[in-house]
Amino acid sequence: MFQLFLIAFRNLGTHRRRTLLLGGAIAGVTALLVILQGLSSGMQESMLRSATTLMTGHVNVGGFYKLAAGQSAPVVTSAPKVMELIHKEVPELDYAVQRGRGWAKVVSETGSVQAGIGGIDVSTETGFRKVLQIREGTLDGLNEPNTLLVFQQQAEKLGVKVGDTVTIVAPTMRGINNTVDVRVVAIAANVGMLSSFNVYVPSATLRSLYRLKDDTTGAIFLYLKDLKQVPAVQARLRQTLAAAGYELMDNDPRAFWMKFDTVNREAWTGQKLDITNWEDEISFVKWTVTALNILSGLLISILLVIICVGIMNTLWIAIRERTREIGTLRAIGMQRSRVVWMFLLEALTLGSLGTLVGAGLGLVVCTLVNAAQIAVPKVVAVFILSETLNLAVSPKVILGSMLFITACTTAISLIPSFLAARLKPVTAMHHIG
Amino acid sequence: MSAGQSPIVSIFDVTKDYSLGKVVVPALRGVDLKVFPGEFISIAGPSGSGKTTLLNLIGCVDTATAGVVSVAGQDTKKLTEKELTNLRLHTIGFIFQSFNLVSVLSVFQNVEFPLLLQRKLNKAERKDRVMQLLEQVGLAQHEKHRPNELSGGQRQRVAVARALVTRPQLVLADEPTANLDSVTGQHIIDLMKELNQKEGTTFIFSTHDAKVMNHANAVVRLADGKILDRVTSAEAQRAMAAGAEGH
Repeated sequence: MFQLFLIAFRNLGTHRRRTLLLGGAIAGVTALLVILQGLSSGMQESMLRSATTLMTGHVNVGGFYKLAAGQSAPVVTSAPKVMELIHKEVPELDYAVQRGRGWAKVVSETGSVQAGIGGIDVSTETGFRKVLQIREGTLDGLNEPNTLLVFQQQAEKLGVKVGDTVTIVAPTMRGINNTVDVRVVAIAANVGMLSSFNVYVPSATLRSLYRLKDDTTGAIFLYLKDLKQVPAVQARLRQTLAAAGYELMDNDPRAFWMKFDTVNREAWTGQKLDITNWEDEISFVKWTVTALNILSGLLISILLVIICVGIMNTLWIAIRERTREIGTLRAIGMQRSRVVWMFLLEALTLGSLGTLVGAGLGLVVCTLVNAAQIAVPKVVAVFILSETLNLAVSPKVILGSMLFITACTTAISLIPSFLAARLKPVTAMHHIG
Repeated sequence: MSAGQSPIVSIFDVTKDYSLGKVVVPALRGVDLKVFPGEFISIAGPSGSGKTTLLNLIGCVDTATAGVVSVAGQDTKKLTEKELTNLRLHTIGFIFQSFNLVSVLSVFQNVEFPLLLQRKLNKAERKDRVMQLLEQVGLAQHEKHRPNELSGGQRQRVAVARALVTRPQLVLADEPTANLDSVTGQHIIDLMKELNQKEGTTFIFSTHDAKVMNHANAVVRLADGKILDRVTSAEAQRAMAAGAEGH
């Protein structure tokens, strides 16, 4: 086998120009694949980091309370009891927070915006500080009652800055509009789509706006030590809460605000809990990642076809040039299978070297892009949930890209290799060309 | 030729036709031949007489249209492709007119290659065998050279070493001196003869060079795809001389 590898390797060296051209093309496609996957992973990473802090936990215990058939509110009553149960039953838990949920109109002197209102206890929200970049004011300002955090985009729309007062108008559970005046204490950098429909107030302010009891919250967000535990924790919570006597909603993998219509149509009243995970709550933005993956896949497929045709052509030429050599080797006793191996090894060597260079190139590009903190257009930022381009490359992605491209180039070389092996020794030996 | 021995090559009523489009060209017609172990036989005849075709059939790199070709007691028609390849690997050595060495391998690696295919010897044994043969053909100093760094005669000596490295019962050489000058050609034939006498290896080589033919124990003369006769080298020389005078 070593001798076959040596023949393959030296043949590549002998035809340097051809090897460089084809190896370069393989390297280019691999680099592109690494970059595109980095972009996709970066988007998912940004999305996961931003969305799981601002809009959802890894696992959520939310739910609806219905006074009458058509009147529902996204609340969890007796939240401390549920929280106690969670702490007892979920050892995988890193931390858990209570988050108020609402939908209201924020009105300033010059404008207004409709937004989802999150009620937070900023002292317990450890992830919040890591994700949000405060452009003006301070996050600790939310420790005071009747305060507000908005994003730059909303601040511009409302024409407010830190210290200004705005009014929040929201319908209570009983259908009466209630208002609260709040002071802007922090303006955060935009985080794509999420910054256009989310504002944050202290939990107490949200409760007073909706006239909720002190032990009522919107949802309990669970942050786990390991994301892989999400399905297991979700399943266990369903069991445990049901066993503890809580009514549970059927599993519905959508964001809570998309479920109002369904819940309102149902006849039940009282409290029902809803166990969701982060993917359910941001399902409405995940299509952007899917779309990018489809586009990347399409682009890579086209490039791969071109490369594969190139590989096949090159091997055809190599086989044509070395037909007499194949004939000689077959004559002196080389089995057909070894002829196949000889050409496969050549393609494998070319593929491995090409992908190695390509992966290195892709890694360098990703590192440079990340270091340059390249700002993306606003329309792109909306979808990638970040104002700068973030390319996340992991060893798994790099190795996966290398293996995939090498496997493709090697697999395609099977056709000419088999045909070379099928040549009759006498025909091959007397080949002219 | 010894009466008690089985022939290493036995050819009976062999025909070989080539198709060139719709035209069938007969290359061999009703050929019968027996070659016994230890013989040093030359196949002589003008171009197109069927020398190479006959060697190809004996070497199992081609199949006869009709008739029986047996090598080392095995009817080649009854063997599978894999068995034919194994027969070539273990029983036959080839020396080609154009040397046919693997250009990207060194002299040592070229000679070692058939041993690697056989997978019988370990590394040290292979090295001993290869170096012993390279000594014999006078190329031990060139073991690391590539074929393109050698002269024609040196390349053919490498080919001889490669053909003999597996210690085959039979070595086939198709015009082994055709691409060499007369002195180098003479050296190659001397080398083959020496190995034939020392190792007892059977050699069958094709040539139309009278000087080369002179070294053979027997000369099989071919013309138009048929064996004219099987004579001694002296008889063959006389027949060639008479033919030349007649012209």
